Amino acid sequence: MGKDTSKQDNQDQNNQSSLVQKIQQLGQSTVPQAPDSNIHVLPIIGQIEGHVQLPPQNKTTKYEHLIPQIVAIEQNPKIEGLIVLLNTVGGDVEAGLALSEMIASLSKPTVSIVLGGGHSIGVPIAVSTDYSFIVPTATMTIHPIRLTGLVIGVPQTFEYLDKMQERVINFVKQHSDIEEEKFKDLMFAKGNLTRDIGTNVVGADAVKYGLIDDVGGVMEAMSKLNELIEKEKQSGEMLQ
Amino acid sequence: MILYTPMTEEEIFGVDQEAFANRQFININGRTVHAERNKDGSFRILQLISTDPQDYLDDSYTPGTIISGQ
Repeated sequence: MGKDTSKQDNQDQNNQSSLVQKIQQLGQSTVPQAPDSNIHVLPIIGQIEGHVQLPPQNKTTKYEHLIPQIVAIEQNPKIEGLIVLLNTVGGDVEAGLALSEMIASLSKPTVSIVLGGGHSIGVPIAVSTDYSFIVPTATMTIHPIRLTGLVIGVPQTFEYLDKMQERVINFVKQHSDIEEEKFKDLMFAKGNLTRDIGTNVVGADAVKYGLIDDVGGVMEAMSKLNELIEKEKQSGEMLQ
Repeated sequence: MILYTPMTEEEIFGVDQEAFANRQFININGRTVHAERNKDGSFRILQLISTDPQDYLDDSYTPGTIISGQ
């Protein structure tokens, strides 16, 4: 009997400590529970980390984590749609392009939301989805590719960067409604950014230029994704 | 000592890399989490890496949860 009560006490203590922990970490005692979701979320936050490991104090999204997740989403029949959440300052160009291509080649409906910022290589990722949203306060910096502020000494290096830039421009052109000329104009604009050429495009302007499809947040993105999933289901039924 | 500068403390003194040395990615029940190893060998979850939004509502993966080390 005595053993039982001590066991009970122990259990109570455990429950209490997990409760205290939850309040400390999240500021609330219970977290809501919900049924399985047919929509998965791919958050791309901080810097996009690719070939080079960044120092640990940087907030990064590692592409080696994301790419297998995208494959798993494609493979899992229970997942019907994907939302890409973007708040990134940019990062590794090739890693960003790899992610963009992976998202663009998914067979399932995809929607992106640009929150806060979708800068630099975040731009092709934002446009890689079937439909893209930007919240009114978010901004996207469009600027030419460069390694550092140093002057490039060898013509080959310049050509290599120029080709890489061409890949980014082509990708954005193919996956959004923006004209190549307009995109290049924004990219090489002077006087908008400190110590760099390019443009910082804010929410509604990104839609006006045709870079992003619509201004909106979670609600708009979810209803658009559900609409796309419905459409996908209907076309699937027609094939059968 | 007072430094009159708009730079951050980290820019002047650098970051203590030691503080990050015990952080690693571990796998719990098929989910990847970024965790910090405690002195007693257990792990404290810092960040969950998953695309399933329901995983983020699961108690056992919320940041701050202590997992006993194997």
